[in-house]
Amino acid sequence: MKFNITTHPLCYLIEIEGRIDSYTAPKIEPVLNDLFNKEPMNIVIDLEKTIYLSSSGILLFVKAQERCINIGKGKIIFCSVPKFIYYSFSLSGFDKLFTFCKNHTIAMQSL
Amino acid sequence: MKSRTFPGNFRSLEPISDFVIQKAQQLGFSPQEIYAIQTAVDEACSNIIDHAYEGENKGDIQIKVIELDNGLKVTLHDFGKPFDPGDIDEPDLISPLEMRKERGLGIFFIRQLMDKVIFKFTPSNGNELTLIKYKRD
Repeated sequence: MKFNITTHPLCYLIEIEGRIDSYTAPKIEPVLNDLFNKEPMNIVIDLEKTIYLSSSGILLFVKAQERCINIGKGKIIFCSVPKFIYYSFSLSGFDKLFTFCKNHTIAMQSL
Repeated sequence: MKSRTFPGNFRSLEPISDFVIQKAQQLGFSPQEIYAIQTAVDEACSNIIDHAYEGENKGDIQIKVIELDNGLKVTLHDFGKPFDPGDIDEPDLISPLEMRKERGLGIFFIRQLMDKVIFKFTPSNGNELTLIKYKRD
């Protein structure tokens, strides 16, 4: 798993490539925590090159979104989500918790 | 039948997925079915490491992939403590976020994505979890 972070006026964009599973999800968690300690607190997560997302990956993002809800600031938006990965979100019901956009340009415009 | 043994750690999850995906592709499963099989096996192996072995590198996971007439049978074998996925409660997918417990989502995926899930434990043979997926597309 590899990821790339770029800074934009209203958000950070994280592009994640490869698998997000019980081995790699713990490597993303401190990165998200670090970004939430900075301004702006919005994070766009681009999953175009993500090939697999496990329940541990979903729960990692749920926890981050929960943190945003609790402090009433910031949000996570997903973009370019492959259909099988989106299916995992919808199967678990967590699709209702996040905003999904077609690509990161649209995601950033929605902020 | 193909069989391989992997160290019981999270680093093994990717090669385990590759092993199962390759066999499912050979049998002509659709990409959606292959993703479902991959997810179920990945979640099951994560549970073996977390719950049966209670940590990484405590033992191995043996995986057998067997072709059926119209499907695939994956058997996962470990020698950790007895762990029946059927004992885990369904995850709460309805309550407000702050009231939900985080456990059970992996098992929920396994049950939703596979056609049959069979667990067997014997003291001499350890845990054996059988996952069956039939071809539909």
